[in-house]
Formats: sequence, C-alpha cells, structure tokens
Amino acid sequence: MIKLHKVKKIYEPHNVVIDGIDLEIKQGEFISLVGVSGAGKSTLMKMLTKEERPTSGKIIVDNTDLDEIRDKDVPFFRRKIGTIYQDFKLLTKKTAFENVAFAMEVSGASQEEIQEDVPQILSIVGLASKVDSFPDQMSGGEKQRLAIARSMIHRPLVLLADEPTGNLDLVNSYDVVKLLLKINELGTTVVLATHDTNIVNTIGRRVVSMDKGKVVRDQTHNGRYVI
Amino acid sequence: MAINFDKIINTGWTNFKRNSYLSFGATGMMALTLLLFLGLLTFQFLTSQTVASLEEKVDISAYFKAEATEDQMLTVKEDLLSLANVDSVIFTSRDDALADFRLKHADDELIQESLDQLDFNPLAASLNIKTRDTSQYASIAQFLENNKFRSVIEKIDFYENQGVIERISGISRGINTWGLAAALILGVIAMLVTFNTVRLTIFNQKQEIEIMKLVGASNWHIRGPYLAEGGLYGLFAALIALAIFYPAVYAVSDKITAFAPDINLLGYFVGGMAQIFLLVIVVGVLLGIASSSVAIRKHLQV
Repeated sequence: MIKLHKVKKIYEPHNVVIDGIDLEIKQGEFISLVGVSGAGKSTLMKMLTKEERPTSGKIIVDNTDLDEIRDKDVPFFRRKIGTIYQDFKLLTKKTAFENVAFAMEVSGASQEEIQEDVPQILSIVGLASKVDSFPDQMSGGEKQRLAIARSMIHRPLVLLADEPTGNLDLVNSYDVVKLLLKINELGTTVVLATHDTNIVNTIGRRVVSMDKGKVVRDQTHNGRYVI
Repeated sequence: MAINFDKIINTGWTNFKRNSYLSFGATGMMALTLLLFLGLLTFQFLTSQTVASLEEKVDISAYFKAEATEDQMLTVKEDLLSLANVDSVIFTSRDDALADFRLKHADDELIQESLDQLDFNPLAASLNIKTRDTSQYASIAQFLENNKFRSVIEKIDFYENQGVIERISGISRGINTWGLAAALILGVIAMLVTFNTVRLTIFNQKQEIEIMKLVGASNWHIRGPYLAEGGLYGLFAALIALAIFYPAVYAVSDKITAFAPDINLLGYFVGGMAQIFLLVIVVGVLLGIASSSVAIRKHLQV
C-alpha cells in the first residue's frame, strides 16, 4: 500500500529531518508512528500527501510513484487519502455540513449524492445534531470527529492521522481512537502519528518508533510505546 | 469534472455575506475607485463641451478689396473648400454685408442715416472659414497668403484672433493629453488600491485555501468562488457609486448650466444612463474579478 525507499528530507542548508527511511505499510494495517517532537513524524506524513517532497528516495502510495504525479494531478491524488490533524484544519466559515460537502464537491459529486451522504457520515461520527453548527461553535472532540467525517467521505484507501488527539482531553481522545479503529476494521489503512504513550499501548498494533529522522524500532505485533 | 456555475456564484455570495467586514471594506474601496472613474468621465465631458463651444466661436475671415470680381472671390472659396481640414466656407457679398449690417443696427438711426448719405457701399465682401480643428487656422491663413488672388484680399483677420485661437488650441491639446494621462495614472492607482484590498481579504483566508488544497480541491474549485466574490464586490461597488453619482450630478447640474448655458450635465448623464450603468457595472465587475484573480494566484501553488 505504502512503500518508502531510502527517503531523505534535508531542509537547506544541513537540517536532516528524514534520514534514509525504508518502510512498508500493507493494505488494512493500523500503524502507530511514535517519537518525540522533531523526530520527523509530521514531515513523513506530509510527504505522503505530497505537501513536502523528499530530497532523495522513492515514495509509492497505491502503486503510484509520488514523483511521477504532476502538480495539476495532486488534487486527484489527495482525494484517495484521508487526513486529520491536531489543529483539525476545518473551514471556519463553513458549517459542519458544508465542510464535509466541500470535500465531496471538489471531487465532482452531485447535489443529490451530497444531500444523501453528508448527513449519513455526520451521524456515524455522532454529529447528527451539529449539521448547521460552525466549527467555532463545537468542542475539540466534535471538531476532530467532523474532520474524520470529512476525511472519510471519499472512502479513502489510507487515513493519515497526525497527532489527532493532541488537543483533546482523555475521554475525547479515546472516542477518536475508537473511531479510527472502527474505520480500520472496515478496511482502511490507518497511519497514526502520536506521542501519547497511553493511546499507543491501548491500541496494541504495529508500532514504528522514529528518532532523529530514522526508524529505530518496528514492532509488527502488539507494539508498545518505546523509542 | 463538472464545475457547477450556479454553485460557484452561490458559494461566492455566501462568502461575501459571511465575510461582511472585509466585503464592506473592499466594496467601499472599489466604490471610491468607480466614483473616481465617473468623476473623470464628467471632467472629460465638461472640458470637451467647453472647448467645443469656444471653438465654435472662433473662425477666420478674408476680406476682399472693392475691385475684386465675384469670379475671383468664388475661385478662392473653391480653393479653400478643396482643403481637407476646412469644414465650411461662407461667402458674403458686399451687398449682403451691407444688408446684414443694416439689419443688425436697425434700431440705430445714426448709423442708418450715415449709410443713406454715403453714395457707395463701404463694406467689403468676405469669406468666413471654419475648420474642423483649431490648430489648422494658421495653415489656412498661410494658404490665403500664398493664393494667386492674394492681391485682391484686403486683410485676413486671423492675425487679430491669432492669440485667442492659439490659446484655445493649446488648452484643447493640453486637456486631451494631460487629461488622458491623469485618467490613466489615477486609474492605475485606483486599481492597485483595489487589488491590495482584495489581496488582504484573501490573505486573511490563506489557511482556508491551504485546507481546501489538502482535501483535494483543484485550483478552479478554490478560485471560482473567490472570483465570484470579487465580481460581487465590483457589482455592489458599482451600484453604490451610481447611487452617489446621480444625485450629485442632479445637485450640481443647475449650477453648471447657470455658469455655462451650453452645457447640460444632467441631460448628458440621464440621456446615456443605460450605457453608463452598463459601463460602470462592467468595469466594476471586471476590476473585482481581475483583482481577485491576481491576488489568489500566489496562494494556489500545490
């Protein structure tokens, strides 16, 4: 599903943030990417959506070499990948409904499809009563569930979650994690970047530990938070 | 991929309403720009009317000596009419000149009696020449100077009017070139200010644009509603500018007419209302769309 081969990212002049990573993630896996701040987790995630380009090496997502995707085709590629972030990245001027609808509109969905799918996905993430609320009128947990709804509307092959619980309290964090596990059960590959020890240990799936831009440990089963 | 035009306009309209403060600022700025544009139109109209009415009053006349034959005079007239820049030539014979003079001074007994006592006609036959362009009078005078019948021409009164004619030519040329230059410079400044206002509006939504890109929006999906929003600034700005401009024209029109009876400002702007509305609205909408389009370009890199 995702393959990284000798991937390096150097910010000029000599700041090496990713240092020759080799990694393979299979379809349907749930992988926790752990490490302290600055270990390179977020840069790695950004490279998977082509927000950042590697300085050298190869990244393949769903059999496509990211290097071969032209700039104008990047939007189409991004529709295959769901992303959620610590700061939610919601459109503040749009309601919950419009935030999800926007992601559908950009891929050319019809109004009928939008009217049918959006309320459905909002009710799956428990936001049926918040359809017309703006992000500013929602709690942190609700915002993150809205972001998840938006990321899932395309039924992506991969869901990239970059510190999704970073701004949430314990209860909301577990709600989000439960939702991610449910999404994974339905077949979506999930990559969760976090430095929350409790969450990683609770999930107990594959854990890849990063430090100073390198993969230092890869526990394929029942992994624990270790760096 | 189908991009729904209605949807783009709707989203642009929704953004316009939700960004009310920024929309208000950008629309206000553009309304000022359009008012300036309308002001320049008014200025252009007033100066062209003033110059035209002054030019109307300027002409050049050639007076013939008493011995000039009608044939000679009519030949000079034909020669003048063959010149490209001559608009009209009116021939006044000695008898006509006397009749005109008598008519003009019909109430003045002293003049009438004096004329009666004369046993000859003291007035000269003349050609009154008008050109299409005041700058041509000097060359007409020159043409008459070199004419083969110069010897029967008593005087050319261009030299008496020369000062006035040249001054009007100068003013007319100056207004045309400097007026155009000023209009262009002000137009560019106004566009830059509008562009900057829209740029600030879009800069405020930089993060929104980034998010749209992250969820896979193509550049046209992002750009469309912003262009619609820019067009809406222009549309509302045009309506505001017109709502201010027409009452203002109504208020000053009488004062201008009192000062210069030939100029009917209100008549001009009311007569051409449909064209002016269309022009201002089109200029406003295009200005808004162009400003948005330039302003958003740099935020659209992948």
